[in-house]
Amino acid sequence: MEKLMETVVAILGGSKVTLELFLVTLVMALPLGLLVSLARVSGMKLLSRLMELYIWIMRGTPLMLQLLFVYFALPMIGIRLSDITAALLAFTLNYAAYFAEIFRAGIQSIERGQYEAAKTLGMTYTQTMRRIIIPQMIRRVLPPISNETINLVKDTSLIYILAMNDLLRVARTIVQRDFDMTPFFIAAVFYLAMTFVLTWIFKRLEAHYGKYDA
Amino acid sequence: MENMMHDHDVMLRMRQIKKRFGPLEVLKGIDLEVCRGEVLAIIGPSGSGKSTTLRCLNRLETIDSGSIEIEGQFLVKSENGAAVYAAPAESRRLVGCMGMVFQQFNLFPHMTVLENLMEAPLQVKKMTPAEIQPAAEDLLKKVGLYEKRHAYPSRLSGGQQQRVAIARALAMKPDIMLFDEPTSALDPELTGEVLKTMRELAAEHMTMVVVTHEMAFAREAANRVIFMADGNIVEQGDPQTFFRAPKEPRTQAFLKNML
Repeated sequence: MEKLMETVVAILGGSKVTLELFLVTLVMALPLGLLVSLARVSGMKLLSRLMELYIWIMRGTPLMLQLLFVYFALPMIGIRLSDITAALLAFTLNYAAYFAEIFRAGIQSIERGQYEAAKTLGMTYTQTMRRIIIPQMIRRVLPPISNETINLVKDTSLIYILAMNDLLRVARTIVQRDFDMTPFFIAAVFYLAMTFVLTWIFKRLEAHYGKYDA
Repeated sequence: MENMMHDHDVMLRMRQIKKRFGPLEVLKGIDLEVCRGEVLAIIGPSGSGKSTTLRCLNRLETIDSGSIEIEGQFLVKSENGAAVYAAPAESRRLVGCMGMVFQQFNLFPHMTVLENLMEAPLQVKKMTPAEIQPAAEDLLKKVGLYEKRHAYPSRLSGGQQQRVAIARALAMKPDIMLFDEPTSALDPELTGEVLKTMRELAAEHMTMVVVTHEMAFAREAANRVIFMADGNIVEQGDPQTFFRAPKEPRTQAFLKNML
């Protein structure tokens, strides 16, 4: 029993890294993704193409490779980052690309009539996006954003490659030390608990934004 | 002198408007004037260019050539055969003189009825909620939907939504109201309430351009009727003469089908 508590405490310690990576990535990647999606739909050709290239690279290569690149390859051109900074950079850039495509799909799903109504009322493009299009878009993209966010919880385990002691790596270390599988089950419970909380939050958000539906 | 008086009262003037969508020429040189307080009904078969004409007025469509004046100022000028639009801010100001009502209502679904009315005055005219709310509530009383002011559009019938859309356009105090088939998306029993609101507006001498299939409205509420077909104005006149004795064979055929 005491040993079990010890394991739980150790894994709890590891989940701090996991949570930090998760939360900071989310807080940075969501706004960045929104900016990228707005650039994509802006009608500015060069900007839009650049964002398309960025999204292609981020979605077209493994997140693991991006992590390794940021941590091991950037130092060759003189950019040396700590392990957590490297992880945050790679995760944010990667997830912003996915979020951007979800936001873009959401923006493009809003009916033309909404833009036309705003235009005939004298609203500028910025006002239209900020007040009319984006609030409606958020409501529509909540389910896919929820999906990606849950993916992010689990993707955090990739940072073991940088030898960072996240939730899963701590569990694996104990398993390898004690030849006992219990830490894996405890780790699974931790992940499930996090996704449970996330699912609940997104459900609340959907209810909040859905109040104007019939 | 008489000419000057006349000029002063012209609210909208379109000259030789041409517009094509790809290979299809939808407007083949439209000339149109609308005077202050006039209610103009535009009728015609679908694909005749009547909605496009309306949408060119407030720049939802850009024209290929010709000119449009709104209250004496050019929204778009003809220069060496090309259509040259006013600068964005000026264009927005001129378009802002006109309110638009759409076939599909296009209310903002994430805002309540009252918020729908207040949004543009708040954002565009930078008014405060305290300044705009009484006027917005008065408009809702006028269209008979004050009780629904805190409801979301999805809770309203089509007829109610369209009346909110009319009130929303009026909240910007436009000089001219444009209606693009305002009752075409409604169940027949709901068109009456919308037409009633429009008749009341006409009775207050609002300048109105109405693209419609409602022959009864055109006959009773309009001062002038225009019949369009294939991107041209085929015939126009005051409703009595127009409906009683249409001159053109195309008009006669169309009216025979409609009535």
